[in-house]
Order: sequence, then C-alpha cells, then structure tokens
Amino acid sequence: MDGGMVMETNYKLTLKIERYDPDTKESWVQDYQLEAGRILRFTDLFRKINNELDPTLAWNSSCEHAQCGTCAVMVNGRPLLACELLVENAVVQFGTTVFEIAPITVAPVVRDLIVDLEQAYERVNQAKPYIIKPVENFNKGNEYQISPRDLERYVDATRCINCFCCATACLSSQKTFLGPNAVLASIVRLMDPREEAKKERLKILYSEKGIYRCHTSKACSFVCPKEIDVAHFIALAKEGRFESEEGD
Amino acid sequence: MSENLMEAKTTSFILRQLERVPYLSFFAKTRGWPFFISWCNRIAGILLVVWVWIHIYFLAFLCTPSAYDNNMTVFRWAIFAFLQWLLAIPVIFHALNGGRLILYEIFGKRNDDTMLRWVFGLSIIYIGLVGLFMLLGNQSVSPFFFWLFILVTALVIGYGVARKIWKSEHSFLWKLQRISGAFLLIMVPAHLLFMHLNPSVGMEASVVIKRMQSWFIKAVDLALIVAALYHGAYGLFSVFSEHLSSRILRVALVCLIAVIFLAFAWVGIRLTVTI
Repeated sequence: MDGGMVMETNYKLTLKIERYDPDTKESWVQDYQLEAGRILRFTDLFRKINNELDPTLAWNSSCEHAQCGTCAVMVNGRPLLACELLVENAVVQFGTTVFEIAPITVAPVVRDLIVDLEQAYERVNQAKPYIIKPVENFNKGNEYQISPRDLERYVDATRCINCFCCATACLSSQKTFLGPNAVLASIVRLMDPREEAKKERLKILYSEKGIYRCHTSKACSFVCPKEIDVAHFIALAKEGRFESEEGD
Repeated sequence: MSENLMEAKTTSFILRQLERVPYLSFFAKTRGWPFFISWCNRIAGILLVVWVWIHIYFLAFLCTPSAYDNNMTVFRWAIFAFLQWLLAIPVIFHALNGGRLILYEIFGKRNDDTMLRWVFGLSIIYIGLVGLFMLLGNQSVSPFFFWLFILVTALVIGYGVARKIWKSEHSFLWKLQRISGAFLLIMVPAHLLFMHLNPSVGMEASVVIKRMQSWFIKAVDLALIVAALYHGAYGLFSVFSEHLSSRILRVALVCLIAVIFLAFAWVGIRLTVTI
C-alpha cells in the first residue's frame, strides 16, 4: 500500500500489434494477452511474446538503454522508445491495459515492427550530420577546445540519437520535409565552432525541404525521448541566429 | 498562494478536463497541446481563405447596388447572423496564434504557455465584443478615424517584423508571409469588428459605396485584399504542397493557386478602384 493506492505487482495486458509479412505482403493486427510485472519494459514484453507466445514476431532493439534509438515504435499513437517504457508507466500514462503497437512511419516496414532505417537515414544524410569543412586550427591535428559557453548553446542538441520519434510525430508530411532530427543535425554543426562551411549548411536549412516545412507544432519536443527542445533549435534558425556566424 | 502558482493550477485544471474529451486526449497524450493548436490554426486558415473568396464574391455585387441589397437580406436572418458571429472564432484565433508563432519563431520568445493563455484569453474577449456589438447594432464611428488608427498600428507591427527578418537569407516569399501575417493580425479582426458596429455598415449598398469612395478607405481596402490573398495563397500552398513529393504536381499546384487567387485579386482590386 502506498498512500491508499494499491500498487499492482502484475498487470494483465493486451498488446494489439501491427504485423506485416513481406513474403505475402499481408498486414494484420494480432492480439497478445500476457501477464507482466510492473517494471518490465516494452522490449521485455516483445521478448516474452517471442519466448512464450509467438516466435515469429519481429521487432528491433540494440542497446536497450535508450541510446541507440532502434526500438522506436508507436504505442497507442505515441512514438517512443520501447526500451524506456515501463509497463506501470504505460498503464498510468495511457489509462489502459490495452496497447496498440505499430511501427514508426518514417520509412517502409520491413517486417512487423521493423522499418527500413537505411531509408529513414537518407534524409539525415542529406543534412550532412558531420563537419563538412573543419576550421583551420582543427585541421592541424591540434586539440580544438570548444569554450564551455559555446558548447552550452548546443550541447542539448547533441544528445539526439536519431530514433525518428520526432519525425514520426511531426505535423509536416515526411514526403517534403527533411524531418526535425535531420534539421537538428545540421543546426548542431552550424553552432559547432569547428565547422567552417556555414553557408552550405544555411543553404540546406533554407532549402525547399528545410525549415520552411516546419510549422512549430512542437510535437518533436513533446515526444523526444532525450528531452531535447527540438522546436527551440529550429526556431533559432528561423530567427536567423546563425547567419551572423557565416564562414565561407 | 502566489499569482503564478494560481494561474498554473487553473491552466492545469482546464487541461486535465480537456484531456478527458476522447478525441482531444489522443492529441494531448501523443503529440502535446501545441500540435492540436497547430491543426486548429490550419483549419482556421483554410476557413478564412474560403471566407475571403465568398466576401469578394458578394462585394462584386456592389456594381449593381440593388442586387447587393437583395443578397444582403439573407445575411440579416438569425442563422446567418449567428454564423457571422461564429466567424469571429477562426478570425481572432488564427490572428493571435499567428502572432504567437511570430513571437516564438522570429523574436525568440519561448514562454509559450503564457503566450497561449493570452491567445485564448484575448480571443474570448474579442468574440464576446463582436457578439455584444452585433446584439446592440447601434454603434458608429468615423471610418477615417477608425481605419487610420488601425492602419498605423498594423503598419507598425508589420514594419517591426520586416525589420527583424528583411536582411536575413530566408526565402523572399516566406518573409512576405510573415510580414503580411503581422499586418493582418490587426487588420482582419478590426475589419470584422467594424462591419458589425451596426447593420448598415456592411449591408446597405449606399453606405458601403459612400465609404469606399474615400481615397483613404480605397487604400485600406486594397492593402487588405492584397495582403489577405497573398497570405492565404502562400498558406494553402504550404499546407497542400507538403503531400506532393512530385515536382510537377507541386508546380501544377502553384499554378492552380496563382490562377484562383489572381482572379479574386482582379475582382477585388477592380471593384475597389472603380467604385
């Protein structure tokens, strides 16, 4: 007992999982009934299904510590990391023990809950998530020290793990927008004092697929598992903050 | 209890009640309230575009005053009066929420919760005022005085936004969208309010024609027509082009929108200049 509220030790859950078989091209929703402890994560539930109910269910995960982003799925319409979601938190958050689970919508489904991440990453690659042209000092092999004040401006944005939860939640269509995480990757390098090619970066941001497709619905910030205020960084670009930092 | 804490508790109470509404709770739990507000902003914008088209269509009847007066008898029916009052909702919401977005995106104001409270608070006051004026139906004000005050305010706000973004490397059309939005933020709600000061202001052809013969009012109306049609056209393109990945289809959409809006611009400008 805790303050008069009974803490359940086990929950009887129903998981309605979207399935897809690439061989037959057939899609369907399959119900799984299972009993699970309150501190099990959703990745544990998928494993439990594999071990006890259905070995054919396919899903993705790697680190299972919210660092790689591969286990992103939609639970009752909300994109999130399955490895971060505890059963009890899910019951409280959604007010139900029935969960509809679907793959994220940023790329075609390969099988069940697995999407083609390579295709999803194509948009991130268009934003060039690396230093295009390092500043001179950086090239000489010396240690390049970023001042704490500079780093503080964008260090939050460097926590992005490209789980594509923000891109899934975004109001803008994924057909014409690079996506919040891809835009954020470019903004990180714009704010990075080691990057020289600021003009090229601005060109990406101000392109047809760039920030003009963002309508500041802030769903990206709302769903981000790393709690990055993505909308804030995109708004900095709209404000024209980075134009004064132009390099070559 | 401090005022801020009280305000936060009130907001939290209202949001908790709203989250119980089945459809709203989905947005609140999966995307957050700003996402829902963005959708409302889009829908309000599309409704306003349709309103501008209908408005220009009916104004075109001013060329034949008796036909205009005949059409306007319909708008005196209670149901149409009620619909006109309802129109105040998308007008003020789209205007103030647009103002919030400008403050967030261009002026770096990140206290979004407070800004949203202002959007809803001012919207309710405005909707109430429009309703009150419609019920009273006996207000009058000098059009020159009213529109001079409104135009100067709108121009100052538009200039403030233009000054902030003009030298940036953003697309010219995007900049115009923001500037026209800032200008319309004041002009459109003022236009709706002015039209409901008393029934003759907008429903009697002789009164409307007399007012529109003033060079100053012509200038105000032209600015309204051009800014509203540009803002609407860019907004429609922005919403619908998102779903078209084919470049050919996007060009076709631009052409279609341009033709429709230019046609309405032609009707509106010609009427304003020649009347």
